[in-house]
Amino acid sequence: MDLSPFESDNSVSCRLASQIPDVCRTEDCCLGIDEAGRGPVLGPMVYGICFCPVSKKQELKDSKVADSKTLNEVERENLFQKIDESKSYIGWALQILSPNTISTSMLQRTKYNLNAISHDTAIDLVQYALDSGVQLKEVFVDTVGPADKYEDKLSKRFPGIDVTVRPKADSLFPIVSAASICAKVARDRVVKGWSFSEDMGDVEADYGSGYPSDPKTKAWMLKYLDPVFGYPQFVRFSWSTAQTLMDSKGVTVHWDDDDEDGEKGAQRQNNKSMLAYFSASAGGKGQTSTHQTHRFFTERRLKSLDAL
Amino acid sequence: MSCNSSVTRVNVSSVGQAQRVPVHLLPCEIEHNGPAQVSQYLTATTKDCKQEKMVSFRGRGLKGQELSCPQGYTGFVLKETNKAGSDQEDRTVKVSSVFDKLTYWNLETPPNSDDTVVMAMDWPELAEAIHGPVED
Repeated sequence: MDLSPFESDNSVSCRLASQIPDVCRTEDCCLGIDEAGRGPVLGPMVYGICFCPVSKKQELKDSKVADSKTLNEVERENLFQKIDESKSYIGWALQILSPNTISTSMLQRTKYNLNAISHDTAIDLVQYALDSGVQLKEVFVDTVGPADKYEDKLSKRFPGIDVTVRPKADSLFPIVSAASICAKVARDRVVKGWSFSEDMGDVEADYGSGYPSDPKTKAWMLKYLDPVFGYPQFVRFSWSTAQTLMDSKGVTVHWDDDDEDGEKGAQRQNNKSMLAYFSASAGGKGQTSTHQTHRFFTERRLKSLDAL
Repeated sequence: MSCNSSVTRVNVSSVGQAQRVPVHLLPCEIEHNGPAQVSQYLTATTKDCKQEKMVSFRGRGLKGQELSCPQGYTGFVLKETNKAGSDQEDRTVKVSSVFDKLTYWNLETPPNSDDTVVMAMDWPELAEAIHGPVED
């Protein structure tokens, strides 16, 4: 697995893929989808697909790729080696969603939530396999949300393909386990070798699992909080753990699309809260100033120096 | 407002000591007046693609552009030296740094000629036309 395309710019999303085995272009294939690193506040989320001919299912099962979540890092690396050695009939592809992509998508003006990101990424990967000529007949997907709805969505999107969406699919279907191993190996390697584009000097690499509940992760996040910028792009800003720490230890930042309600927010934005019209001083006159600034200046936010 | 009689004084002699610095105008309000690790975080992660710059701040995507001050003008960053206790008192500001270009950033939208700060740069030319000497 060559991670250099991602490592050359770890702020954006990146696709990595194996060669497409010839046999996958001629025989009916099954494909598994799984993700790694959905929960952590640090590092990327990796989506993985793995595919092989339906006729090779037993062989895959015999290679004991099952139950990827119960494996430790070394075991996963070994199994990935095995998958890689079977490249004559197993293919894989990964989509690495950088933490910066996750932050900026989830915090976009029109919010793009993690479920929607996940679904779109999975769909793109299946489409990639189809575009590469893989003869897909069966697709197995691991899911965290409601399985039925997702299964419907995928079946409609890919007519003619038999789609099965199940929670814990990685322990039920070896092809999903294989996808899960590829995804997890990539995520582990990326997190381990993360190179910070920020100029932060020597960064302590002991950030634990990246899960908000991990004390090591928590300690790391406390240590590397910058009051103004918050965090390096390695951190998912859209996670409540990051938000809470920035709110309590960093300086407050207001955006024009913040939904601040009540009088305070309105005051800050320089417009009147509805409540103001009911207060004792509400004379209804509004502006008493006789001098009105021309629109030319207000539109450009130009003010004279005495109005600083 | 303009109804009080206080005066704002700019300490002109401070221009000489003011440093020329890179200036960024962000599309948000940061409740902080003081130093910040701009080059370590913002500059280090800024990407230049053609005319447009890209960066993220606090997890939000920004798009930016470099903008020059109008010809013959210099930008000033002003700092209040003695904060006035009431709006009746005079205020004094000094020039803490100077700039002749700045990078302005929009939230997610690409920079364009309708942006407030770009339009603001029209004023000097217009002012010249309105207030300048008339020649026949």
